[in-house]
Amino acid sequence: MSDDAVSPEEVRHVAGLARVDLDDDEVDRFARQFADILEYFETLDEVPEVDREADLTNVMRPDEERDSLDREAALENASKAEDGYFKGPNVS
Amino acid sequence: MTAQTVQQGDLVTVIGLEVHVQLETDTKIFCGCATEQTDEPNENVCPVCLGLPGALPVLNEAAVEAAVKIGKAIDADIPEETRFHRKNYYYPDLPKNFQITQYDEPICADGELEVAVEGERRTVAIERAHLEEDPGSLQHVGGGGGIDSAEYTLVDYNRAGTPLMEIVTAPDFRSPAEVRAFLAELEEVLEYLGVFDAERDGSLRIDANLSIIPEEEIDGDDTDEIGMDALEAANRTEVKNISSHKGAEKALAYEETRQKNAIQRGRAVEQETRHWDESRGITVSMRSKEEEKDYRYFEEADLPPLRVSGWKDEISIPELPSARRERFQAEYGLSEEAASKLTSTKQVADFYEDVAGEFDPDLAATWVADNLLGELNYRDMEITDIAGRLEEVSRLVELVAEDEITAKNARETVLRSMLDDGAAPDEIVEQEGLGKTGEDEVQQAVVEAIDENPDAVDDYESGDDGAINFLVGQVMQKTGGSADPGDVNQLLRAELE
Ligand SMILES: [Zn+2]
Repeated sequence: MSDDAVSPEEVRHVAGLARVDLDDDEVDRFARQFADILEYFETLDEVPEVDREADLTNVMRPDEERDSLDREAALENASKAEDGYFKGPNVS
Repeated sequence: MTAQTVQQGDLVTVIGLEVHVQLETDTKIFCGCATEQTDEPNENVCPVCLGLPGALPVLNEAAVEAAVKIGKAIDADIPEETRFHRKNYYYPDLPKNFQITQYDEPICADGELEVAVEGERRTVAIERAHLEEDPGSLQHVGGGGGIDSAEYTLVDYNRAGTPLMEIVTAPDFRSPAEVRAFLAELEEVLEYLGVFDAERDGSLRIDANLSIIPEEEIDGDDTDEIGMDALEAANRTEVKNISSHKGAEKALAYEETRQKNAIQRGRAVEQETRHWDESRGITVSMRSKEEEKDYRYFEEADLPPLRVSGWKDEISIPELPSARRERFQAEYGLSEEAASKLTSTKQVADFYEDVAGEFDPDLAATWVADNLLGELNYRDMEITDIAGRLEEVSRLVELVAEDEITAKNARETVLRSMLDDGAAPDEIVEQEGLGKTGEDEVQQAVVEAIDENPDAVDDYESGDDGAINFLVGQVMQKTGGSADPGDVNQLLRAELE
């Protein structure tokens, strides 16, 4: 796979969708890294075919209530919380 | 034809809908948290619906059953195999940064729903209906509370993971009124199926696509007959944030007028997403979101595919409102209007059939459709609010059927007092002395009225037939209104012979 497998524009677009701010150096670095990652996937083409396990289907659970988390525990890892809510920046 | 030369008379409105329906299950679609609405935020949450790393979704069987019921009701295909996908977007109402939904293999495909609009039957094609999870809810706080000006956001994940069915129609609607009629019918059907609670806040949410195209592009009402090129060529707006069938009609009427005005003034209609602002009664432009390809859909590997086409035969659904309306007219001889009222919800229809089976269908229709629903409506109540007291209402109809109290007293005194004070009908009849007066008592009142009113008797005997009405009034007064005026009239005439 060539070095321009992933263009800087594609990196900026994906970063935008993920709301991540990247500077130009980072864009270049990620473009190279994405290209490397895609190359790793090509290795999979060399894996010989094997018999698959039978596919699972219809894995379901009954409509029965299970205990939820305590709210305190639910909010424990949040960087900010207020009145039982997770708190974040304006998201317009 | 360019937009500039189109005249308003030549234009037709084309609308398609995406209807999001919360399914009425006890627990969420991928975890065992309760779906019950609470006043406290983040009470019904767990690692799955908070999107914590490593948590695995397990599908709720009841949500699939509900989806199959809906599929049956709209006469859709349930494909041999159906599966889930991840729709990727980054927004804090979605803790995993993706929503589990169904992309190209939905559980229901190619359905339809028939609806009456101003007396005309219309069939609306339903392209697909799929299962997905509801996102959480956001509150935009500070800076006046608007999305753009807010200082920060509070997030509640109680709603996250509530099972949703998204029902997508073909662009088959030609007016906002048709949309309203369709949504009302859909709500009725869903309630009959027992998969939907219309009373629940936010249980129905609608996105609508609206475009205006030249009339000659339409030959009929079906999608196939629209010039699809014309539909593609016309810019459409997607109106979001509609939450009721009445709201849909208002929002789309506004949007229809806005687009027609733009075209008439020679301005282009922007292809955009607009937000219905219910309190101001207008739609406002929203910053455009991701395009379809930006959602980067891919298969949800944590959920194996479903093979439930056989459930269509195993799961039964009740008689649906349109069929029941027709049967009520044929079987009980009801008018279309009465049949409509009596099938408006399954509870009302079931109760009517109970009462009609026991007493006379006409009497039952008057009592359920006019008296009961009328008095409930006046009090802003639903039949579900008195679900435990329907026996008492039956008993009241029985008292009337057996001629133990007058219809007027039953309606104006007993029924009202039952609803306002919670008393039982026999109690009220006893307390108010409404039991129909015995014949002897009426006879005695007749004699008294004649004795006490010689002038009226003279008038009657000298040929003034109207004087009898005065005497009837006197007897009615003496018997507290519980005598039958027709009988009294007869008795008076006999006594004065
Ligand atoms: Zn949960």
